[in-house]
Amino acid sequence: MSAIDDLNAELAKLPGIGRKTATRLTYHLLKQPKPTVERLASTLRTLAEKVHPCQKCGNMSESVLCPFCVDPRRDDTSFCVVEESSDIDAIEKAGEFRGRYHVLGGRLSPLDGIGPEDLAIDALKHRVEQVDATVEVIVATNPSMEGEATATYLSGVLKTTGALVTRIALGLPVGGDLQYADAVTIGQAMAARRKMPE
Amino acid sequence: MTLVTTPAIVLHSYRYGETSKIVRLLTLDLGLQSVVAKGAMRPKSKFGASLEAHSEGAAHIYVKPDRELNTLGEFEVNQLRRELAGNVERFALAGVLAELVIKFSSSEPHPQLYVYLHSRLNQLCGSTGEQLVVDGILSLWGMIRELGYAPALTECAADGRPVSEGDAPFSVKDGGFLCDDCALGRRLSMVPAADRRFIGHAIEDTLEGIPVFEENTAAAHRRLLSRFIHYHLAEGRELKALDYWEALN
Repeated sequence: MSAIDDLNAELAKLPGIGRKTATRLTYHLLKQPKPTVERLASTLRTLAEKVHPCQKCGNMSESVLCPFCVDPRRDDTSFCVVEESSDIDAIEKAGEFRGRYHVLGGRLSPLDGIGPEDLAIDALKHRVEQVDATVEVIVATNPSMEGEATATYLSGVLKTTGALVTRIALGLPVGGDLQYADAVTIGQAMAARRKMPE
Repeated sequence: MTLVTTPAIVLHSYRYGETSKIVRLLTLDLGLQSVVAKGAMRPKSKFGASLEAHSEGAAHIYVKPDRELNTLGEFEVNQLRRELAGNVERFALAGVLAELVIKFSSSEPHPQLYVYLHSRLNQLCGSTGEQLVVDGILSLWGMIRELGYAPALTECAADGRPVSEGDAPFSVKDGGFLCDDCALGRRLSMVPAADRRFIGHAIEDTLEGIPVFEENTAAAHRRLLSRFIHYHLAEGRELKALDYWEALN
């Protein structure tokens, strides 16, 4: 195997990249100045060496604890549970949540052999139990069947802690149009309708 | 390329590229199918939420002869079965049924298998507590029957002679109950008469009323089922959902 084949093979393992795109990227890199390629290689090495899951919440971080866990301004009585670290970025962009995060590292999926013991559920329970006040746990797993099953499971596990377990709402996107929404989403939106403020 | 519209149940789906999904479907007219749902991950996809596991509807599939992966044009969902996610055991059982269909059925049309999966998923949607335990065991024995691996019940699995009434030895390796002569000197699971009758009703789909199992009885049924499926169907292959369901209890 040549260096070109090696890189093609490695790039093709990335999500959304097939053999053709991998080859295109490899030849693109070969055309770049040497320092640019070396910078990319160095960044990847740093990523592999320095980034690891936060010891508290499981978010990807360069330090032992991630910025959300060490920030004293964040609410200790509110937890937002997500499937993956990348979900935190999406929630942070919304700017509505100011509590702590917890990354499960996946979701229950019998067909993929992912059970509760494969997720950071015990760690979540432990964190909730350590808070000396009423805690709200917002389950923000994806609105897929697996995400819903994970939310159901979490709700059962956290029952003994006395925490208020809530689920993010499902429904229509803001700025969307009813006539373009699928029937399932409209059905969920109808089921989760709320009283208008007076 | 032919466009075929057929009732279908979503068994499993996973990401394909940036925006598409590969979906495993059990269809009424085309048996087990793998289809690509192009753009299914886009926010404004026409598939919307319809390709969730265990949902059912009309699949419009562009079929090319001799192709393993066909294209899903549209999926008009009529049953989403979100209730399955409301209980972890229910969800796991639905996963086991889907896993067995994915691994042990084919693209040959099998309408009876389709109807069976449809009815068991519907049954599981409303099942809870003790009923769910029995429903799960019933569903899996029924699925084994539909896939053509039913165990021998009244005739000895080894020599074909009648098996006497009452408690009887069950041999996973031989594929069912054994007569006294064939069981002689072998270490086999002895199935009590009541449980033997239950297995018989489950296989023949003749059960009237739902029995209540003690926890150890339910565990024994689960173990027997798991061993039987692993030996006869899986032949050493991994069955993640089945192992997950067994471990859950």
